[in-house]
Amino acid sequence: MGLVKAKIRKTKTGSGASDDMVGLSAALQAADPAERRSAARRLGSTTGCEAALLDRLAFEHEASVREMLVLSLMQLGTQDAVRGLAEHLRSEDASLRNAVVEALEAMPDAVAPNIELLLADHDPDVRIFACNLLVGLAHPDVPKWLSHVLENDSHVNVCAAAVDALTEIGRPDCVPALRACARRFPEEPFLSFAIDVAIARAAEQ
Amino acid sequence: MSALASEGQGAEGPPHPLSDEELAKFSEFFYRKTGIRLDERKRYYMERRIVERIRRTGCRSFFEYFTTLKLNGAAGELEALINEMTVNETYFWRENYQFECMTRSMLDEIARRKRPGEPIRIWSIPCSTGEEPYTIAIHILEYWARADSYDIEIFASDIDSNVLKRARDGTYDERSLSRLPPQLRARYFKLVSERRWQVINELRSSIAFGSVNLSDPLETARYRQIDLIFCRNLLIYFDDVSRRLAAENMFEAMSPGGFICLGHSESMSRITNLFRPRQFAEALVYQKPAPSRGA
Amino acid sequence: MTNALPTPSAAEAGARRFTWPGTRVLVVDDAITIRLFCRQILEKAGFEVIEAINGLEGLEQLLQGTIDLIVVDVNMQKMDGYEMLREVRRQPVLSAIPAVMMSTKSKPEDVDKAYAAGANYYLFKPIRPEPFLACVRLLTATVQ
Repeated sequence: MGLVKAKIRKTKTGSGASDDMVGLSAALQAADPAERRSAARRLGSTTGCEAALLDRLAFEHEASVREMLVLSLMQLGTQDAVRGLAEHLRSEDASLRNAVVEALEAMPDAVAPNIELLLADHDPDVRIFACNLLVGLAHPDVPKWLSHVLENDSHVNVCAAAVDALTEIGRPDCVPALRACARRFPEEPFLSFAIDVAIARAAEQ
Repeated sequence: MSALASEGQGAEGPPHPLSDEELAKFSEFFYRKTGIRLDERKRYYMERRIVERIRRTGCRSFFEYFTTLKLNGAAGELEALINEMTVNETYFWRENYQFECMTRSMLDEIARRKRPGEPIRIWSIPCSTGEEPYTIAIHILEYWARADSYDIEIFASDIDSNVLKRARDGTYDERSLSRLPPQLRARYFKLVSERRWQVINELRSSIAFGSVNLSDPLETARYRQIDLIFCRNLLIYFDDVSRRLAAENMFEAMSPGGFICLGHSESMSRITNLFRPRQFAEALVYQKPAPSRGA
Repeated sequence: MTNALPTPSAAEAGARRFTWPGTRVLVVDDAITIRLFCRQILEKAGFEVIEAINGLEGLEQLLQGTIDLIVVDVNMQKMDGYEMLREVRRQPVLSAIPAVMMSTKSKPEDVDKAYAAGANYYLFKPIRPEPFLACVRLLTATVQ
């Protein structure tokens, strides 16, 4: 037969010296992506190495390494990790920005204290991303934050992002804020449409 | 292991316990979290399962239940929901189009990349009670013309040591074997008791069974240069982080250009950007890109 | 080529002769309200609509069925719109499918990036029904 019994390899345990933070941080700059991925993975279980991961994230272009850097920061889940990741919301690199949104929404407890600051950012793109990440953020204050955006934010696309989020997680008490938003942008057919959808879904409750 | 259960329309109970909007919100959320698309044609079935979870969790309304599920991240409830929405079952020849894809398309492409003497490695995880790895083996022996020219290694793993024991033993009842063509049953099984059939020793001993937690990189580090992974209906049970870890671990375990088959209602597009969809005539699968792919 | 698009009304008038029912448009956006909005506009105009929530899912849909036009957002998780379009242009079976990119980003360099990635037209969000439909009609008529 062509089938041969495979041998399952023994796991190599502890690769010694390179496991210290200095060694791993250096390995994050290695030329071989596999080596960088491996270092990024191991730093995910070492607290205090957020800065090293975040620094590398700023200019890592290999998608598989970037995924691992973000995943390790998610696993660390610290305030340092959250603030550093949030800075990358301003990046010109779309895939980095979106990887960051995804990471942040998976860290509700660490992200929550930073939401109001993000929603008040001068850059509308950052505010849009903040609304985007609220969709997936498991936190009881999400409807309150989004209602605040609807009543106060002057940018139509930020409001559209908040409406979209509320379409999925809206409650009846969000309806007044949705109506207020519709009154503020009467000339936007998309926003009127989206608000009608969001109200229909929220009011059903 | 599991698939969306298909059930006939029942006659009992209120016609629509949930409104269209409630159902739409639920489906969107469920898809976002699990990658499983709920079939609108099975509305009655879905509603009954949701109502059952509402009752079991002591919630008084869909709203209360859904809010708890979404905003508090209710640990464990999502898994309970998935269990309600899916049917756990495994049998020979299950979702056969993927095995046909293996013998008609994927193995030829894998073989083209192999140097002489280099083995082809296939990994079935979770292998549950063994139906899948044995199905893979029989398919290759029967339907891949070049099977004799290559060393083919099949690994079969599960986190549950009880099912692994049964997988190694390889004894099945009629129900598990019902889809298997009769001549193949005669060729690869022996009758061991009334209506119980055991996989022949030669086949049982050719598969490397082992216990593995797919989210644990230390455990998966024993698996390398894998060319084809069957990981069907497992990732839907994981939370977001474990699912990504599992995907990372599969990526590490695979050869460049290797393939992954997921369950028919699952999609990699909700889990990770590490793989690319690849359409063959028989099935959509996922592929690990060759290195030095642009950002 | 995209700069030479006629005005919406002219495009609409011209395109009506060429567009036929059964033309399938893939709408790729993580915002459910955008997908619904596009769906409403397009279905009313006789198009068939397929949805995807990010670039990877978009690629899956493209590989699994015949799609005549892609409408794609920029910012999405797992795979953004630029990367999806680059992938589409790389794959011989998909590379000829026209694509409209839509985004809240309105700086000239954002528009350039969209065209560089493989877009045939660029719309600013929030999109308006008339220019959106005109551009869809024009691009689907062009390929047919």
